[in-house]
Amino acid sequence: MDLQTKTEGNAIIVSISARLDAVTAPEYEKRIREMIDGGNNFFVVDFEQLDYISSAGLRALLLMAKLLKEKEGKVCFANVKGNVRSVFDMSGFTALFKMENSVAEALASIA
Amino acid sequence: MIKVEHLSKKFDELVVLKDITTEIKTGEVVTIIGPSGTGKSTLLRCLNLLEVPSGGSIYINGADILDKKTDVAQIRQKMNMVFQSFNLFSHLSVIENLTIAPIKLLGISEHEAQTKALELLRLVGLAEKADSYPDELSGGQQQRVAIARCLAMEPEIILFDEPTSALDPTMIREVLSVIRRLAKEGMTMAIVTHEMDFARDVSNRVLYMDEGIIYEEGPPEQIFENPQKEKTRAFINRVRSYTCRISSPDYDLYAMNAEIEAFCEKQILPKKTRYNLLLLVEELLQIYNPYLRTVVLDMTITYSEKNERLEIICESTGDEGNPLENQSLTDDLGLMIIRNLTESIDYRWLNGKNRLQFLLKSNLP
Repeated sequence: MDLQTKTEGNAIIVSISARLDAVTAPEYEKRIREMIDGGNNFFVVDFEQLDYISSAGLRALLLMAKLLKEKEGKVCFANVKGNVRSVFDMSGFTALFKMENSVAEALASIA
Repeated sequence: MIKVEHLSKKFDELVVLKDITTEIKTGEVVTIIGPSGTGKSTLLRCLNLLEVPSGGSIYINGADILDKKTDVAQIRQKMNMVFQSFNLFSHLSVIENLTIAPIKLLGISEHEAQTKALELLRLVGLAEKADSYPDELSGGQQQRVAIARCLAMEPEIILFDEPTSALDPTMIREVLSVIRRLAKEGMTMAIVTHEMDFARDVSNRVLYMDEGIIYEEGPPEQIFENPQKEKTRAFINRVRSYTCRISSPDYDLYAMNAEIEAFCEKQILPKKTRYNLLLLVEELLQIYNPYLRTVVLDMTITYSEKNERLEIICESTGDEGNPLENQSLTDDLGLMIIRNLTESIDYRWLNGKNRLQFLLKSNLP
C-alpha cells in the first residue's frame, strides 16, 4: 500500500493505492491516527488506485470513522468502484459511509 | 477368460504395478483409465507378456501363462494387441500386413487369408485401400488397418493400448467407431484410453488405476457418475489442486497469494474469480489466526475443470469445533464476506480434524 496525502482547504485528501489488507491495514491506521492526533478532522479518502480491500482494511476505515466521530470530524470516500466496491456492498459499508464519485464531490460534501 | 492375481512389475527400483487382482470375462469390454504413468499400459503389456511380470499370476482360460512351459506365441494369438503407434509393416501393402501372420503362424492358404483380409478391411471401412502402403494412409486409417490386422489372427481378446492417442481429433472418431462396432459384436476387449466419453459408452466395467493399483473399479455409471473414492473423483472431474500448510500466525500472506495466483493462472480462471479467491483465503486466515500458535492448518484449493467448481478445504488440528463459530471474533465483517463469496459451507469433524469446505459462488457481480 502506498498512502499519499494532500491538503485542500481544511481537509486532507488521502489517496491509497494497491492493497488495504491484513498486512497493510496497521500502517494505514497508524498514519491516520497520527493525522487526527495532529488536529486534522476532515478527510476525503480517494480509492481510485486501490485494487484490493479485505475486512482488515474495512476495520481500519471503521477505526478512522470512530476517531473522527469523537472529534466531531467528517470523512467521505471517493471513487469506490470495481472489486473494492463489491466488498463494500457485501459487508454493508455502502450504507454506512458517505461516498461520492469524485474527490471534488467528496470535498464538497464535507465542507 | 483372464484372471490376474497379485500382479506386480518393477523396473529396477521403480515399482509400476504393486498388486493387481482382477478378472476379464468373455464378452466383457473393460476400459482402463487413470492418470499418465500409473501403470495402465504396463498392465496390458504384462497380460500379453511383452513385459515379464515381477510377481503374481495371470491365467488365461485357467492356464498359467507365467509357467515356463507356456507357449507365448500361442498366447499372443489368443490375445492380440493394438498399439498407440499402429506398428504396421511399412514395406508391405495393407492386405499383406493383414495376411502375413495368418499365413505364417496359422498356416492358412494365401487365398483364404486374402478373402478374410478383404472381409476385415470392409469391416473397418478400408477395402479400397487394400493395395495401398501404410505411408499413403492417414493416422486414423493406419490404426483401422492395425485393428483389422489384429482381427485377422482371430483373437479371443484384443488389448488396446491408447489406440487413439497418436491421432488428430478428427481421426479419433473413425477409430473409436470401429472399436464400438467390435464391442457390439461381443468381442472381449481391454482398452487403455484417455477418451472418457468413449470409455463411459463402450465399457461393461471400468478400472481406475492410480499409484500402481486398481484404485477403484465398477460399472461406468458408478465410475463416471458417482465415483466412491477421492482420487477417482478428482480424476473424473479433472480436479486440479493447490495445498499449503500454515503452522504459525506469522505466515507470509503475499507469498501464499503469489502461489495461488500462479495456480489460478494455470487454470485460466477469470480475474474476478482470482480476486474473490484471494479475498476468501485472507478472510479465512484471519479467522484461523488466533489458533495458529497451537494448531496446524492445511488449506487446499481445488478446481474442477469439468464442473468449473472452485473449492477451499481447510483442515485444522486441535479440539473439535467449527472455527467459524468462534465466539472471540472481534466482529462479523470477515464472516459476512465469507458468506457472500460462497455458495455453501460445510463443517465436519473428520479423522480427528476440523474440516471446513467452501464452494465459491461462480456468478458474483
